[in-house]
Amino acid sequence: MPIIGIVVVLALVAGACSRGSGRGVGSGITGRVTISGSSTVEPISVRVAELFEDVESGVAVTVDGPGTGDGFKLFCAGETDISDASRPIKDKEIGECAEAGIEFVELRVAIDGIAVMTSVNNPVDCVSFADIYALVGPESTGFKRWTDAQALASELGSSSTLPDGSLDIYGPGEESGTFDSFVEIVLEHIAEERGQEATTRPDYNANADDNVIIQGLQSSDSSLGWVGYAFTANVQGVKLLDVDGGDGCKAASPDAIATGEYPVSRSLYIYVNKAKAEASPAVTSFVDFYLSDGGLGTAVSDVKYVNLTEEDRMASRAEWSAR
Amino acid sequence: MAKARLIGDRTNRVMVQAMERRSTDVRGRIFQISLLVTLLISLFILAVLIVDVVVDAWGVLTGRPGGFLNGTMRSVSHDNKLGVHQALVGTFWIAVFVAVLAFPIGIGAAIWLEEYAPKNRFTRFIELNIRNLAGVPSIVYGLLGLFYFVNTLGDLTGGKSIASAGITLAILVLPIVIITAQEAIRAVPQGLKEGAYGVGATKWTMIRSQVLPYAAPGILTGTLLSMSRGIGEAAPILLVGAVTGRLGTDPAFLDFSAINAEAFMAMPVIIVEWVQNSGRDPGFAEAAAAAIVVLLVFVILMNAAAILMRNHFEKKRG
Repeated sequence: MPIIGIVVVLALVAGACSRGSGRGVGSGITGRVTISGSSTVEPISVRVAELFEDVESGVAVTVDGPGTGDGFKLFCAGETDISDASRPIKDKEIGECAEAGIEFVELRVAIDGIAVMTSVNNPVDCVSFADIYALVGPESTGFKRWTDAQALASELGSSSTLPDGSLDIYGPGEESGTFDSFVEIVLEHIAEERGQEATTRPDYNANADDNVIIQGLQSSDSSLGWVGYAFTANVQGVKLLDVDGGDGCKAASPDAIATGEYPVSRSLYIYVNKAKAEASPAVTSFVDFYLSDGGLGTAVSDVKYVNLTEEDRMASRAEWSAR
Repeated sequence: MAKARLIGDRTNRVMVQAMERRSTDVRGRIFQISLLVTLLISLFILAVLIVDVVVDAWGVLTGRPGGFLNGTMRSVSHDNKLGVHQALVGTFWIAVFVAVLAFPIGIGAAIWLEEYAPKNRFTRFIELNIRNLAGVPSIVYGLLGLFYFVNTLGDLTGGKSIASAGITLAILVLPIVIITAQEAIRAVPQGLKEGAYGVGATKWTMIRSQVLPYAAPGILTGTLLSMSRGIGEAAPILLVGAVTGRLGTDPAFLDFSAINAEAFMAMPVIIVEWVQNSGRDPGFAEAAAAAIVVLLVFVILMNAAAILMRNHFEKKRG
């Protein structure tokens, strides 16, 4: 009795705003495309799918964003057609794919910079890779103030003078693609030289939500943290630090990221299952569209990432046609 | 005799004091006021939350209410096709699953435990476990759903589908339904039951004609709370197939094929997703607020249905 009542009420509400799904125009291709992987690349794939829908409304594209690592697990189990990734595939994951007999093609689609940030009230303007290693690298575990890292930074050849203030660090957790990229770009080289494990210190405030990281950075005058550049577009109370990767202090900007001048940047990829592309015209035409000017050319800037240079875009297209 | 007069005198004194309003019960007043303050604090927090959300959502809700209800997930917030239709369909069917599965099973289990089960070590053990299950973190139920309903029973449920999510959430709220229904049944006066037996009713007739009608309002309150909890869960359904980026299909509300189709969307997931998206596109904050208002209205509609039914039963009990 209660059930029937609830269902009836809901059905009335439902009927008021129900609608069917429009199907089938364009070149008449129908089918499904399943994408999973990096939550960083997710908005690009979603935007491309939306633009694609205007052309081929018979293809249903579903995009999920559990993370690059989880995405490759599904991809190598044959459950998805395309995997979004914010880093190149790892050897271990290539092995898993090979074991399942899955061949793939790797396509670069956009560039993302990682912004190193602090509070606007912090006097620091530029940090070197050595400074970052001294502040958040594996050997910094337990450092509570910026000055605690001074000795290590100087030992690594940095000429910066770190300010005095409590060292409150906020960043993405280990499960995030941004974490992996940050470690690989900034910390790995120095860690290897010093015989340390390539990772960050474990004692910082890790969060998967970039908004929470930025709130943390705002909450302390001497905070330090890093997030994807796309997430810094409209933030207040925090500033982007210049980073010295060996060629002097470079500010993060879309241009500096696209050309690789800003040292903390990374490429974003999609991985396409070759057999599935072969079998499904929906997948093939979707990837064709993805790499075209109507796809990538529009979508990347729509969702505020940095476009590949024209040359790099041509390289990805060549990679795709040579599959 | 003397003692009685003494008590009478004191009562008289208190009465006079009370009437002259020279109350000396300061601590009583403080207690009363602090209770009122706690109530006002809870109401104030609730009001602030609701006002804040409605203010944020105002632009979307007044600007294009129809478009928002019929729209789908989009990558950018200033898109006219942005909306909650897919999520509303998912949450609607999850609610149906909870109502159809959890309520009858939960209420049935509660009747058995209260009216039929012998009170021995075994039933005490069962009751203890039901109480423990009510406190298990929801993500654990998500894992259960992933193993059994997505993988093992994938042929039946369609794998990562609305059906898997609905069954998972029905199981998640089952302990709460059982516990609240038990409390309601336990509160039925013994006299009513004895009266029924007295006029020759069988146990089943007694339960049907006396226990259930009397306990119905309490049972309904419990089922309502558990339903609200169920459709508000995001974590477990992410494990059993809710997508965060884009859902390629947009089925109608009464399209039954959507129930076991691969991938779906639900209101709590779309709210989490939009709040996160607001980091790169602040317009999503407004959309998230509007989605929260839609979910609130959805819950209030269910509340209204349950309250109407409760009033109906209470009149009967009268």
